[in-house]
Amino acid sequence: MECNLAVSLMHDYLDDDLSKEQQMELKAHLLSCPACRMQFKELEQTDMLMFSLSHHAPSAPLELTQRIMSALPQEKKQQPWLGWIRRHPAVTAAAIFLIVMFISSVSFWDQDSQLVVKGNDLDQVVIEGDTVIVPEGKSIAGNLTVENGKTKIYGEVNGNLTVIDGSLYQASTAHISGKVKNIDQALDWLWYKITNAFSDVAYR
Amino acid sequence: MDNIENRLTKLALKGDQRAFAEIVELYKDKIYHLAYRMLSNRHEAEDIVQETFLRVYRNLDRYDQNQKFSTWIYRIATNLCIDRLRKKKPTYSLDAEMNDQEGMDGYSMIPSDNRTPESEALLSETQQIIYQAIDSLPAKYKSVMILRYLQDLSLQEISDVLGMPVTTIKTRVHRGREFLRKKLEPKM
Repeated sequence: MECNLAVSLMHDYLDDDLSKEQQMELKAHLLSCPACRMQFKELEQTDMLMFSLSHHAPSAPLELTQRIMSALPQEKKQQPWLGWIRRHPAVTAAAIFLIVMFISSVSFWDQDSQLVVKGNDLDQVVIEGDTVIVPEGKSIAGNLTVENGKTKIYGEVNGNLTVIDGSLYQASTAHISGKVKNIDQALDWLWYKITNAFSDVAYR
Repeated sequence: MDNIENRLTKLALKGDQRAFAEIVELYKDKIYHLAYRMLSNRHEAEDIVQETFLRVYRNLDRYDQNQKFSTWIYRIATNLCIDRLRKKKPTYSLDAEMNDQEGMDGYSMIPSDNRTPESEALLSETQQIIYQAIDSLPAKYKSVMILRYLQDLSLQEISDVLGMPVTTIKTRVHRGREFLRKKLEPKM
């Protein structure tokens, strides 16, 4: 065996990485080569000395834990919330969109306080100030919608009646063939606007 | 199977400071030993320990539970030490005399740090010789030898810590061992 190879095997042996047969070969070489025997002895001693150092490990100063703990950043508390946003960007975007929609709609809701009357057959309707009257004996063909006003029904409505942000009075003579809707909540109003927008789109 | 480190990191991630303090207790001596041998300076070793745990804390959410916690923390600490060594070396020489003041050299500018850890007080001559030998190792062998012998990591673990192939680690252990043998040989 060449001495170079023997040295390489010595290191493998110290790494605990040498097969039984190779150990025998190395041993045979060491018996015949004093120089390698010497080197092996020195390497083995170096190895043992080095391992012995792990028993003399210095310990860190006692107050170091305290110092480490007090140096930690405190912003961790916000993290779960921020983390959630980071994990669900689509949901967050949708939520912000809804909030913006809601706020703008509500502000619109506050804005229009003008009387609006919608229907197919408005000739029959009498408007006095903010009061919309369907007089007795008259009949309205189709739906009627009144926004921001009082509604008094004495006659007939042959369709749905929708009252938004206003009061509704029905006399005993009144007859409404369709549904009566009275909307005065922001959310109801919003829902009405949205469904209206959709049916508008659908019928256009 | 959930080992203690994984349980503690999960708790710490939920904001449990005591769990993190336990992680610190488990590892601070090991990291301190590593850093002290790498840098041969008590203050710098303490800095490294502190910085290591700060990074562990900041990156807890990125810790991969499939990896050994020790591998992860050793990697952080070893990299910090190697960076520190790199910065220390070429910038200035301690032995160079300063221009402005006579008799002043780099050593006198450093706050004196003669205090060594208590256990070092009783160092035998042999131990001092080994420590000096380790200190004179080039950085790339130093980290490998310290992880192998002082921290008792396997070659595979060192390869995981340093992100290098096991064959490279093996070569470095062999050369490092040979280097130390030559240093220690006249004293044996």
